[in-house]
Amino acid sequence: MKWLQFLTPVSSLNWQEAHELVQQHPPGDVIFLDVRQPREYEASHLPGAKLIPLGELDNRLDELDREKSIVIY
Amino acid sequence: MMAGKGFKNLYNLSGGIKAWKKEVAVGPEDVGLHLFSGGTSPEEALITGFGLEAGLRDFYLSVQEKVINESTKNLFAMLADIEIRHQERLVQLYAESTGVDISREEFARKIAEPAMEGGLTTEEYLQLYQTDLESETEVLGMALAIEAQALDLYSRAAQQSENSQEFRTVLLQIAEEERSHMAKLSEYMDQHHNTL
Repeated sequence: MKWLQFLTPVSSLNWQEAHELVQQHPPGDVIFLDVRQPREYEASHLPGAKLIPLGELDNRLDELDREKSIVIY
Repeated sequence: MMAGKGFKNLYNLSGGIKAWKKEVAVGPEDVGLHLFSGGTSPEEALITGFGLEAGLRDFYLSVQEKVINESTKNLFAMLADIEIRHQERLVQLYAESTGVDISREEFARKIAEPAMEGGLTTEEYLQLYQTDLESETEVLGMALAIEAQALDLYSRAAQQSENSQEFRTVLLQIAEEERSHMAKLSEYMDQHHNTL
């Protein structure tokens, strides 16, 4: 059993808090990660969001910088 | 899935995109990226950015000629003038990153061809937003949406790993400029809320 995954905290942010997080950090230090399907992304996404559909996430984690703040939706 | 895999700061966005109350962008992940593919120098990024601002200014001026309402005409003129200020800011960024001072007019000569901000064409924007061009509120809403598309484009281009780090850093700076343009437009809309 990978116990660590249950110990890493994942907090929730509301939209204002997420917006403030971007403003408080240097450009590019906060990543919005869109885990929906490409069609949903195409219809509407947060400006600059990176698309990795949930089904592909496990195999594409290396595309994300582990040092940055990542806001997932 | 990501927790416990070395990510330092992970957050869930409560309510997802439906709860997001600010502007959103549309289009597939790669729209407009051809404008920035294989970029190496900050100069290239700034020249493309300058071309996009020029394209948007041309767009506002061309629509200005078509509208009848005098106050909307003035609004389009104002939006077109704002693009000159955005261009000046890019020229300033150019001077900061290269140490070379250049005028806006000289910089303009470097543009291959003007494109629209956000990577879509004029017609695509008009179709996309279905804006009543005689309505000041709708026009400002459209301007804000175009800036959101621009922020989206620069941010996505900055994520392209085949571009050099220097190039990507400048793209992030331009993206920040777009963010501040959006804040100023929102402020303007709030100030003129009662008169629009």
